Amino acid sequence: MIEIENLRKVYDNKYEALKSINLTINNSELVCLLGPSGCGKTTILNIIAGLLDPTSGDIKFDGKSIIGMHPKDRDIGLVFQNYALYPHMSVIDNIMFPLVVGSNKLPKAEAKKRAQEYMKITKIESLEDKKPGTMSGGQQQRVAITRALVQNPKILLLDEPLSNLDARLRLQIREEIRSLVKRINITTIFVTHDQEEALSISDRIVLMDQGIVQQFDRPQNLYLEPANLFVAKFMGNPIINTFEMLKQDNTLVSQDFSLDLKKFDKDRFKCDLDGDKFIVGIRPEYFVLSHTPLFKTKVTVKELIGKDCILNFEVNNQAAKIIVDTNSNIEEGQELAISVEYENIYLFNLEGKRIY
Amino acid sequence: MKRTLTVLSYVFIIGMSIITLFPFIYMILASLMTFQEATSIPPTLIPSNWEFQNYSTALQKAPFARYFFNTVLVATVSTIGTLFTTILASFAFVKLNFKGKKALLTALVALLMVPYEVVVFSNYQTIAQLGLMNTYTSLIVPSMASVFYIFYLNSFLEAMPISYYNVAKVTGASDLEFIFKVMVPLSKPALFTMSILSFIGGWNSFIWPVLVTNVPEMRLLGNGLSAFATESGTDVHLQMAASTITIVPILILYFIFRKQIIRGVVKSGIKG
Repeated sequence: MIEIENLRKVYDNKYEALKSINLTINNSELVCLLGPSGCGKTTILNIIAGLLDPTSGDIKFDGKSIIGMHPKDRDIGLVFQNYALYPHMSVIDNIMFPLVVGSNKLPKAEAKKRAQEYMKITKIESLEDKKPGTMSGGQQQRVAITRALVQNPKILLLDEPLSNLDARLRLQIREEIRSLVKRINITTIFVTHDQEEALSISDRIVLMDQGIVQQFDRPQNLYLEPANLFVAKFMGNPIINTFEMLKQDNTLVSQDFSLDLKKFDKDRFKCDLDGDKFIVGIRPEYFVLSHTPLFKTKVTVKELIGKDCILNFEVNNQAAKIIVDTNSNIEEGQELAISVEYENIYLFNLEGKRIY
Repeated sequence: MKRTLTVLSYVFIIGMSIITLFPFIYMILASLMTFQEATSIPPTLIPSNWEFQNYSTALQKAPFARYFFNTVLVATVSTIGTLFTTILASFAFVKLNFKGKKALLTALVALLMVPYEVVVFSNYQTIAQLGLMNTYTSLIVPSMASVFYIFYLNSFLEAMPISYYNVAKVTGASDLEFIFKVMVPLSKPALFTMSILSFIGGWNSFIWPVLVTNVPEMRLLGNGLSAFATESGTDVHLQMAASTITIVPILILYFIFRKQIIRGVVKSGIKG
């Protein structure tokens, strides 16, 4: 178990990368640190690995603090974004490297045997004598992971491991990573800025922004039950539509449409509706074409993405999007009659806190 | 118009090449002349007989074998020493974070601005007061570290991903293991260029050996040659033969490694 308590990091240039982070990660869990660049996710990883020292706070592995401990004593495996394979060594030498250096070095023959065992697990036996420069990105990635695992660490840390791969390979390798870490049952922390990657492989996701954990939850909750406006805006593609609306009696009104508060599910309110201005979030897939529309508008741009297509339109003088089935054959310039699924609306106050 | 320019630039280049190469070629030609030919006016260009015995005569007149031995020893040991100190210093500057790193680097840059001739005096004082005159130590130790090469290697190491070092750290490799198993093999091109330049520098050194040695058996080729010129008086043809002998090895070295040398000089803008 990894416990992170009140972790704070201020860099030498006074930039506060982390502001009091608290996380508990269970054994053999696969957790993603997700967020836009500069949110502090790699900083957390480097502090866990011991490559950076925190300004304050504590990290415990199985109840024992590891702050101040040398990276090599932390029982971790680390995979870098650029793989960091040594270009002058063959694959087997790269994988053996952790076993033949330091204070616990093994005899060469034994190290080689162990490296070969792990190469079998990651299915890269055939690459044994190749040099990193002659291999594809996916192969280098597998070698880097094998090297990280060869010391049999308790925790595997992966820093944006897929960002240097092309799109198709990324899909394949991320599945491989998930099945591998589940098979050997290792606690894994995975840093990424790609929500799709995070959603598809994680047991739980830590969504971060500006050095603060915005939400730490199961992937589908991040999408379906965002804790605040940032989470709602970050998760989902295309991005959620947000409208500022005024509360007047039992309706929320804006220039072009209004929402009836009586149709909202009372049990879903997290607190009372204080104030009169709110931000309404409606995902593009929860706008629907309807005969009893809330408003009518025209398609400005149509983007085809396959089974579905995204229609851009204007409402309240701002751009918005709706996703419809490609079969509906709607073209640019055509009129749209749009309604909304009330059960899938989100309400936030002006500070971004989720109300409904 | 374009043609005239091309012709002009060729004329210029050829003219400059002749001016640059002439002393060198004349040295070789004069080393094969008789005394009369070498000193005649107007000067002789091509000797009538190739006087190869000039070389054996010159070698007998001064202990050149000893000079060779001294020069090779001093150049080699100081090159190895420079490599060692440079590798360790550059590793610390580029891969480690420590207090005062910036100040130290600034101080080193400042040292780079101090002309060698200024340092020579204080170094001479140090060596003299330590009683190290006429020893190999005095010839070797002052050139065992070089600010210039530290900066040269720094720029090379900065291009090496820091994750290479972090991998070593996480896997438990010691700094020395990282240096010798990863950093040195990967910096081979830079280290190679450094070694050649440093060796040539050692071979050509003159002022320092003149200052700290005054017995023949400690002389290097540079000051050995100059001593020979003084002692042999007017034997110009023998002096030329001796000069040719001392230059040949470094010339061979240059032809073998010219790619590396030119790369090193171009990259740094200055020859070390």
